[in-house]
Amino acid sequence: MPELRRDPIMGRWVIIDSEHLKGPSDFPKEDNTPTRQAICPFCPGRESQTPAESDAIRPQGAQTNISGWLVRTVPNKFPVLISEGLLQKEGIGIYDQMNGIGAHEVLIENPDHDKILTDLTHDEMRLVVSQYQSRFRQLSQDSRFKYVVIFKNFGSSAGATVEHTHSQIIALPMVPKAVLEELRGAEHYHQYRGRCVFCDMIAQEYQDKERIVAENAAFIAFCPFVPRYAFETWIMPKSHSADFALIDETAQGQLAQILQDVLKRMKKVLGNPSYNYYLHMAPIGYANPACYHWHIEIIPKLTRSVGFEWGTGLHIVPTFPQEAARFLREA
Amino acid sequence: MPQLRKDLIVGRWVIIATERARRPAAFVDPVSSDTDPQNCPFCQDRTSTIVHESGGVKVVKSNNPILDKAQAFERRGHGLYDVCYSYGSHEIVVETQQHVANMADLSLEQIQRVLQAYALRMQELGKDPFIEYILAYKNYGVAAGSRNIGHSRSQIMAVPVLPMRVKDKINGAKRYFEFHERCLFCDMIAQEHQSAQRVVVENEHFIAFTPFASRFPFETWILPKTHHCDFAEGIKGREGSLAGILKDVLLRFKIGLNDPAYNYIIQTAPAKNSSMFKEDYHWHIELIPRLTRVAGFERGTGFYICPIPPEMTATFLREVEV
Repeated sequence: MPELRRDPIMGRWVIIDSEHLKGPSDFPKEDNTPTRQAICPFCPGRESQTPAESDAIRPQGAQTNISGWLVRTVPNKFPVLISEGLLQKEGIGIYDQMNGIGAHEVLIENPDHDKILTDLTHDEMRLVVSQYQSRFRQLSQDSRFKYVVIFKNFGSSAGATVEHTHSQIIALPMVPKAVLEELRGAEHYHQYRGRCVFCDMIAQEYQDKERIVAENAAFIAFCPFVPRYAFETWIMPKSHSADFALIDETAQGQLAQILQDVLKRMKKVLGNPSYNYYLHMAPIGYANPACYHWHIEIIPKLTRSVGFEWGTGLHIVPTFPQEAARFLREA
Repeated sequence: MPQLRKDLIVGRWVIIATERARRPAAFVDPVSSDTDPQNCPFCQDRTSTIVHESGGVKVVKSNNPILDKAQAFERRGHGLYDVCYSYGSHEIVVETQQHVANMADLSLEQIQRVLQAYALRMQELGKDPFIEYILAYKNYGVAAGSRNIGHSRSQIMAVPVLPMRVKDKINGAKRYFEFHERCLFCDMIAQEHQSAQRVVVENEHFIAFTPFASRFPFETWILPKTHHCDFAEGIKGREGSLAGILKDVLLRFKIGLNDPAYNYIIQTAPAKNSSMFKEDYHWHIELIPRLTRVAGFERGTGFYICPIPPEMTATFLREVEV
């Protein structure tokens, strides 16, 4: 019996298409193994081919913009938003417009071209998380920006155009709509019940157990009761935390561990699929930290969204989250 | 300098890339291919339940429905979550008896009959008190989510809840109306006429333009020039005119962009209590050629990056000879 489920945060309904259920082997397989590229601008030794780095992790005292780095962040050579200039807002007849001020950076996660994120050692992965935090803190200082989003596109069908392992960071002069809706939903819930909706979700996950994929001391990973995509998985800090910038080194290590663990499980179960993940954080200077709980959403790219989904926002999901979680848990 | 533009209806910001804007020709990406009518389920089908048939247009119940009415409608709670048993209808509109893939190649009369079939089915399905919304839409080409069968068809889905994006649009239009006491969509039409840069084509009753805050390259909307909230009621007597502009836009996609995959979707008022939406909602059709991929940023933020300004795509589409 197909089910319609409503997300308690956004109020979004989804259809779990139980009549046409799909398991891991029903999705088309992709080959996302890196191939040796002749001229990869992200490889060590080609630092001059990217804009000058905005941040990097390298041995103490080492020179910038040459090889020897462990993680390196550079402005995107083809930015969607430009960081120089002042924000100008204007009206065009009935429409609103502003100039495209923002930051768009590429975070090169490892010097080794042959490694994908799941191949990194635990220590290497920690450095990636630590660089996420340091970029997030730095960009949050710019008073023109209201929101910073850190995300990763892996594999060409998830939108990656360069195969050398990397993430991207975009700082925006406004809070994007999906985040705003999530915030409003969470604030509304908090007003009504006096509790954080994300904390309540975690409690519900512990009670039901069947959707939990993995956990460690500080984090839990689960397939949400109301997914939009098959095998969608969220990672959340177990204790309430509105601000990613505040997590300490121990938590960074725990986050590196669970993020890599979930991605490895997906790789094993789904055959190295393309995926996206992004960090959902409160806006810069958010006034109601009791309402919001930062988290990571991971979405393997297994299906195409069709006219029906983009027109209505009503997603059709071909896999029950408890089934997806069981596959991932047992991997 | 890239621009940030706000969608007036739902309040969504989009980035219009100008620094790395691509030329219209860079999007040309043919996907469709001819297939054998011998294997076409819509040429051969004799098993599906027909719910409407007229002039070569056949509406059948999906043999593979995502929603059906096998079980009574029931809502329940699961901890903090809301659940309801799936309830609704899923129908396929087989648009022609001929094995033709693209709706752009159908005759005007045939497209008119398809639009009439949408209207009739919407009115019929809307009689069910549990149905909140009826959606008529089309997926053409594999990149738009269709199986590559090569037989022109569209789908009608009736659902027992108000989908999120529909709700957003309705609420946005309501807010605008409360403040201005004018329909937002009527104001958009006036604005498009005034600036003229984004108009693709128009006829007596309809206008097609690329929206100011387009999410996708070549995104095009068709709006009736006269205010009406409901598709089925609103097209009465104007089916021919709508068929004309729809075919025109689809041909511009086909010729200009080399037969790309596309989706269109009819955005009409909710099925129940339509008098509530009479003044502030204005039905329309959204058409989107599938030329780019949605990546992590769009998925995570609902913030779209459109790689080409809509003024440029409108000029390109306007200049296609149909």
